[in-house]
Amino acid sequence: MPPSQLKQLKSSLRDSGVVGPQKSKKQKRQNAKTGAGGQERIRRNAALEAIRDRFNPFEIKTAASRSKFDVTTRDGGSKTDKNHRPGVTKSLGEVRRRETLLREMNRKNKVGGVIDRRIGENDPTMTPEERAAERFARESERRLRKESMFNLEEDDDEEEFQLTHKGQSLSFEDGVNLEDYSDKDMGLDEEDSDSELPHKRKRVFEDEDDMGGAADGEDEGEEGLPERKKSKHEVMKEVIAKSKFHKLERQQAKEDDDDLREELDKDLPDLFDMLRGVKPPPKPEPPKDDLGGMNPERAAWIEEGPGKDTEKEYDQRLRQMTFDQRSKPTDRTKTEEEKIEEEAQRLKKLEEERLRRMRGEESSEDEESAKEDGSDVDDMGDSDNESVFDDAKAFGFQMSTDQTTSRPELAVEDEDDFIIDDDLVETRSDVDLSLDGSDDEASFVEDSEGEEEDAQEDEHINGLTIPEGESATTANGAQTAADGLAYTYPCPSDHEEFLDIIKNVAVGDLPTVVQRIRALHHPRLASANKSKLGRFSAILVQHVAYMANQPEHPPFAVLENILRHVHSLAKSHPEEVSQAFRRHLRQMSTERPLNPLPGDLVILTGVFAIFPTSDHFHAIATPAHLTLARYLGQSTVNSLAEISTGTYAASLFLQYQAISKRYMPEFINYVLNALCILCPKEPTTSLGAFPTRSPETSLRLKATKSTVAPRTLRFWDITGPAAGAEEELKLSLITTLVKLLDTASDLWSDKSAFTEIFTPVHAVLTHLVKTWPAKLSKTTLQATLNKVSTHLSQARLHRRPLELHHHKPLAIKSAIPKFEESFNPDKHYDPNRERAELNKVKAEYKREKKGAMRELRKDANFVAREQLRQKKERDAEYERKYKRLVAEVQNEEGREANAYEREKRLRQGKR
Amino acid sequence: MPSLVDGTSSSKKRKSVKNATAPSSKRRAVAETDGPDAMDDLLRLEEQISESRKHYNNIATLISRLGADEDPNLAVAVSLCRVFSRLIASGHMTEASHSAENEKIVVAWLRERCREYQRSLAGIIRKGDASSQITALTLAMRLLNERATHLHGEDIQVWISGFFKNIVEAVVEAKDGQALRAEFVEKFAKQYEDVRYYTFTQIAEYASTERDEETLDAITAIISAIDTVPEPQHKFQNFYSKASKANKKVLSFNAHKKAAQDAWLAVLRGNISQSQRKSLLRIMAHTIEPWFSRPELLMDFLTDSYNFGGATSLLALSGLFYLIQEKNLDYPQFYQKLYSLLDADLLHSKHRSRFFRLMNTFLASTHLPAALIASFIKRLARLALNAPPTAIVVIVPFIYNLFKNHPTCTFMLHRETRDPARKASLEADGMDDPFDPAQKDPLLTAAIDSSLWEIHSLQHHYHPNVAAIARILAEQFTKQWYNIEDFLDYTYQGMMVGELGTEEKPFKRVPVVEYQIPKRIFTDRLLQEDGGVDTAQGSFMRGLWDFA
Repeated sequence: MPPSQLKQLKSSLRDSGVVGPQKSKKQKRQNAKTGAGGQERIRRNAALEAIRDRFNPFEIKTAASRSKFDVTTRDGGSKTDKNHRPGVTKSLGEVRRRETLLREMNRKNKVGGVIDRRIGENDPTMTPEERAAERFARESERRLRKESMFNLEEDDDEEEFQLTHKGQSLSFEDGVNLEDYSDKDMGLDEEDSDSELPHKRKRVFEDEDDMGGAADGEDEGEEGLPERKKSKHEVMKEVIAKSKFHKLERQQAKEDDDDLREELDKDLPDLFDMLRGVKPPPKPEPPKDDLGGMNPERAAWIEEGPGKDTEKEYDQRLRQMTFDQRSKPTDRTKTEEEKIEEEAQRLKKLEEERLRRMRGEESSEDEESAKEDGSDVDDMGDSDNESVFDDAKAFGFQMSTDQTTSRPELAVEDEDDFIIDDDLVETRSDVDLSLDGSDDEASFVEDSEGEEEDAQEDEHINGLTIPEGESATTANGAQTAADGLAYTYPCPSDHEEFLDIIKNVAVGDLPTVVQRIRALHHPRLASANKSKLGRFSAILVQHVAYMANQPEHPPFAVLENILRHVHSLAKSHPEEVSQAFRRHLRQMSTERPLNPLPGDLVILTGVFAIFPTSDHFHAIATPAHLTLARYLGQSTVNSLAEISTGTYAASLFLQYQAISKRYMPEFINYVLNALCILCPKEPTTSLGAFPTRSPETSLRLKATKSTVAPRTLRFWDITGPAAGAEEELKLSLITTLVKLLDTASDLWSDKSAFTEIFTPVHAVLTHLVKTWPAKLSKTTLQATLNKVSTHLSQARLHRRPLELHHHKPLAIKSAIPKFEESFNPDKHYDPNRERAELNKVKAEYKREKKGAMRELRKDANFVAREQLRQKKERDAEYERKYKRLVAEVQNEEGREANAYEREKRLRQGKR
Repeated sequence: MPSLVDGTSSSKKRKSVKNATAPSSKRRAVAETDGPDAMDDLLRLEEQISESRKHYNNIATLISRLGADEDPNLAVAVSLCRVFSRLIASGHMTEASHSAENEKIVVAWLRERCREYQRSLAGIIRKGDASSQITALTLAMRLLNERATHLHGEDIQVWISGFFKNIVEAVVEAKDGQALRAEFVEKFAKQYEDVRYYTFTQIAEYASTERDEETLDAITAIISAIDTVPEPQHKFQNFYSKASKANKKVLSFNAHKKAAQDAWLAVLRGNISQSQRKSLLRIMAHTIEPWFSRPELLMDFLTDSYNFGGATSLLALSGLFYLIQEKNLDYPQFYQKLYSLLDADLLHSKHRSRFFRLMNTFLASTHLPAALIASFIKRLARLALNAPPTAIVVIVPFIYNLFKNHPTCTFMLHRETRDPARKASLEADGMDDPFDPAQKDPLLTAAIDSSLWEIHSLQHHYHPNVAAIARILAEQFTKQWYNIEDFLDYTYQGMMVGELGTEEKPFKRVPVVEYQIPKRIFTDRLLQEDGGVDTAQGSFMRGLWDFA
């Protein structure tokens, strides 16, 4: 059986040394001297506290289940203090609530009161020292801050808002004396500078109040004295004050002017109305001046309004001025050389940009590989979005069923830095067309960014002033008047409409019409014009093809001009023009992939003029390439017209690839096949791995007369030769094809497989030379053959074994399980960063929610308790009052009762 | 007799159907205008025959009324069929041994008339128009059934050497007989197992003699349409004639297969044309081979076709492969032959994807010699230089897979010259391609010493996607393999649609426009400004072409 509580207490007191043998006086004195007594007392108190705690088992709450062993668990292991003190925390919470919640509760439904806005006053975390330090810091900061240069009141303000104590400045540096001094001065200055009075008065009054009568007396005394000589300081102050005053006056005048102007402006609409002869609507009646019925003070305040406004406006202006931009040095005008230099730089940049696109820029390759990696992952795991992963899709190939216009990995890079000039076809372009030829081409090259605005303005004006265009045309003679072209044309919304518009316009005048439509619908004239011109540009693309398809062949000069217009429009409306081209190509591929119309060829020609065909991927150039390749690869070769078309397509292809020099198998196949078809004798053996297509009827060159000479092919040869000119056309075709091979061999001379590509070419050319009719000249043929031979030997010289795989060796994939060096069960090792983050937030949210709920519950309890307490208080009060009243009444009644009793007894006594 | 009643009702139905259809010949139109009378007359004659023997001469009358083969009177044919069916069923056409002499004479006469009728039916099948052909076929088959069922000793004979033979021949030789043959296959040969069996037998016999192309086509059409190969455990019980049940041959699975096999062999041995050979090869795996209990018999045909070259060889490949794989066929120099198939036209042929699928199987083995694989790779690369983009797209992943399976071949992609002497000579003279394209044997082409310059050049293909694919060979081989199937079926049109889409869509990125507007596109505009020499963009076109 444990000893009794009393015994336990005694023993523990003894053990902790609270009670012990009495100390001698000497010892006590010694302790007092060394200060050990204080320490002793602290120690004693701590020991007593501990003993108290130990003997009060309800103060400490231990864990619900006592742990028998030290164990590591997921969450319990790291908890250090298992003994909670519910009483302490509870009372702490109680205190805090009393401080905050209770106060709030009491203030509820009550309006008014004083809010203490002193720095740090309501911040319990700050000690008084900190508060003082903060306030001081704030004040000195304000003093140091350099207000804007236009702030007239700055220096005054500085003085005005200062921490004071009983009128004494709290600032340190020689403040007190100076301040006193100037304060006194101010009293002096009062009469001199009235303007300052409103600012100063408050201060002065304060001073007077604070400092008491002594200062007053002094002031009055000084006032009576004759004027003494002003110190330098005072003079300066006066000067400053005066200048400020004048400044203010000037500003006032200016404001007055402004007001006047504003008033005038206000009347302007009325004036316009009067000019137009419309009666202005009756002005709304001004609000009735019923100030009379008002409180006179308030009325005065309202009347004063405008004056106040000026003050306010002044402040506002002042503030505005602080934000005014200071003027900057302008760029100096550039010299001619510099301009040229700049232009060259810009062109160089654009060219570099083009080359980068041609290479199929690096960033896109990264993207591609990233995509491939991603798809690999897809392959293994994710199968929900795409059941079967298609390898081909990784390269942007797709079956015809699904369509996406552009493939991300090969798409061109953002080209927004490309400067779009608004209107490149100058107003005088119709002059060009009339073969004046004196055009300044420099205006074609668009202006750099800085000058763009001006350029646009110019263009804009040019566009507006149609007469200028007219004057330009009149320079050519009276033809303008005669042709009867209108100056204004509506902007067509579809091709039919356009055809309707140009119904009566001669083909040669078409450029003028287009020019006028463009000028009239310049985007800067109306917001809708941009979309209108976009549609118009698409119509022009359509119209070029349409014109070329017409049986009466339009002059190419007109086609060219329209295409140039399209190009210039494409700069401002790239989307519409590109869509129009794509629409045309799409229509071609679905309706007539193997027998293109002349219009299609013109459009394909336009592609290389308008779009950079050297790009690795281009939304128009790539399909255009495919269109050409498809024709070259699959068309029939039954007539000279078809071969002419093929030759045109082949030349177009070489033109497309003039810069990027890419290889097209179909080109070589077609050209070699066409040569085999046209050459005078059929080759006996296969000359190479190109597939052969034969015409239904022989198209071989017949050795007839020597008068036949090759000529330059004409565009309209694609419709077939004139009667009797077949041999000439055949000869020309052969010559052109050989020339094409010549160019191709130049283009592809650095291809590693040049030998393989051009060995068949060599064979075919040799065959051609061998079988060439003796009467005809074979200089081009021989020249090309020699060239190909040299190129072949060059290629042989430059041939090296391929070394494509200079890659870093791939590391073998590690199969070691991921092992945490010092695993902590409390930590989460989620490899998925996002998920881990999310879980963390979730847990935090849960914890916070729990805590908040608990707090709220406690608050509610507290409120209920408080309300109960208050109610009880009120009840008790009432009770007390009631009792008091009852007692009072009883008192009185008692007296009466006594009187009655007495009376009664008296009467009874009497009886 | 139920069958008889059936016969009349069905024939009436057919007639009514025919009345509904537009009459094709004038004569029949006439016959139908006086329809009621003629019909009554027919019925009367028919009645009389069934009533008594003395009206047997009516049969001759009816046969004479039958009309020409090209333009038969079908009503008469139908009623004749009824007459003969009745006579056969009632036993009037069997002569008992004890019967009297005159009876025998009557029977013989009847048989003679019956044969006459059969001949004219066959004639109608051969020469009539489509509807009468089909009617005649139905009538003939009905009569055949009656004969097989009721005439003693004819149950097999009528199929093998008798009437059925005539029918099959007539069906095969019928002019414009597509509908007829389809009817024959659908209604009879496919439905009834005995008909199928005997059809095969008859055709085997028929085709064993030299026939012309058209006939062979017809035969092929018939037997290729009969594609319901029975299972080995199949119970044969679906017979046209009840009598067939007694025939053991018709009940045996092997006999059925043998009959079909013989028929096919007979066809294949015939002098078939090039296009027929191709179409036969095309159906080889699905239709023909299942019939063969001994597919080895196809060997000759397939090897012949394989040696033919060109598209035929391509088509023969799959059949041959089946034999090699399943039947242990030893085909010497198979790979050499396969190698020779890689010619200029292969990549432009429409059988390209089929060939690549097969080649993918043939070259799948990792035990093939590297030299051989290298030859295939090099050859394909050479062909790719002249191939359309759709083919290049297949070739490159295919080569990738080969490289992945045969890492020895990767020397063709990466070969560092370490020997200083060799290096020096390379620097001085360059090199030739060691690959010998003319060499027939893929083991001897020295392709493994060569490099794939062709694929390297194709990295500069005009189409960006193709170029990107060509680039996979220059990158690290991290991918296990490419699924060739995904690359096979591309076309120009498909690629165009892939580029352009089928409808307009807003651009994700606005296409770049050439920054400089050219001074001229077609004409010599402002040429003197450039000093008269055209060097601007597009000068090449303007130099070659005269735009006027």
